[in-house]
Amino acid sequence: MITRPFLLALLMLGLHPVIASSTAEAESFLKNAVSQVVTVAKNAPDGASLANQLKPLLEKSINFDAMTRRAVGPGWRQFTNDQQVQAIRLFTTLVIRSYSGKFTPGELPSVDFKSAQSPAPSRVEVDTVTIYKGSNYDVLYRLELLGAKGWLITDIVIEGVSMVANYRSQFDARFKAGGAEGVIGSLEKSTR
Amino acid sequence: MKKHPLEFLAGIFVLLGLAAVIHLSIRAGSGSITDGDTCIIEARFANAGGLHSGSSVLVSGVTVGRVVGLRMDPDDYCAIVSLRVPTTLRLPTDSMASIKSSGLIGDKHVTLSPGADETYLEPGARILLTESAVDLESLIGKMAFGSVSEDSEPSDSPQEIETP
Repeated sequence: MITRPFLLALLMLGLHPVIASSTAEAESFLKNAVSQVVTVAKNAPDGASLANQLKPLLEKSINFDAMTRRAVGPGWRQFTNDQQVQAIRLFTTLVIRSYSGKFTPGELPSVDFKSAQSPAPSRVEVDTVTIYKGSNYDVLYRLELLGAKGWLITDIVIEGVSMVANYRSQFDARFKAGGAEGVIGSLEKSTR
Repeated sequence: MKKHPLEFLAGIFVLLGLAAVIHLSIRAGSGSITDGDTCIIEARFANAGGLHSGSSVLVSGVTVGRVVGLRMDPDDYCAIVSLRVPTTLRLPTDSMASIKSSGLIGDKHVTLSPGADETYLEPGARILLTESAVDLESLIGKMAFGSVSEDSEPSDSPQEIETP
């Protein structure tokens, strides 16, 4: 008689972590990635060497393929395979360079993790406040679960401005003016 | 007997005028773009401040629909905005929705920027890649009081030159 409610309670207890675990998993993945970046930044003498050291780390935690595709927007389908590969490579360089270009040696950011929400299955948004050089920035990380690759960052929203949306408006204008070559040309120019 | 046709005509004229006013008022309101088949898609924003029912939905600066509803999701306190758009508008699943304002203090509207996915948003689907309304007041506040350390600013500029 007592066993049935007990079993039910056990089941509910058992079910709850399943729902919560994906969010927690994504959050711990992000925390780990951020702490690795901070550790690398701590030992980096300048921005250029930081970019080189960060590259493998960021490629492991950010989904640059999806980010490039989304940043280019509707024009992406008209890229040839070679152009897509080239665009991903250039965009990765651009993001890493603009990321590490803002870095001052000796100044380390402190990241305060606020809340993690899952707006849809296999998607998690982690809200953080990053304090860098005495200024607070609201940074929201969007993560997606990609099968075997696990959780990866697909967008970063800083102070309400999404990185993907920001690049999309620029690349879309470029694509309408000069096609795929125009987009790759402007990417080459900004990564030179 | 002779007066009747004139009065009848005047009556018809008045009725036609009324019908025209009603027709115009519906067309000038939210009904104007909802001709033809429409569907509702939703967008999830962290902050939908400034939006209201009837706000425009734009793609590349062209009005394609209207905001028809705003509600708060009690689970995570996010704003869910319902957008009425024509079914002929096929939006890739990774399309983004941003709340922008026309001009500095202008009315807020939703801008949709189509993505690159091969799959399309179904009616009732929810856009998760969104940009919320930028809070102008808090930005001004940040500019005025944000930076705590003053000396950090000059150290910024040599770094910028060094990196490229």
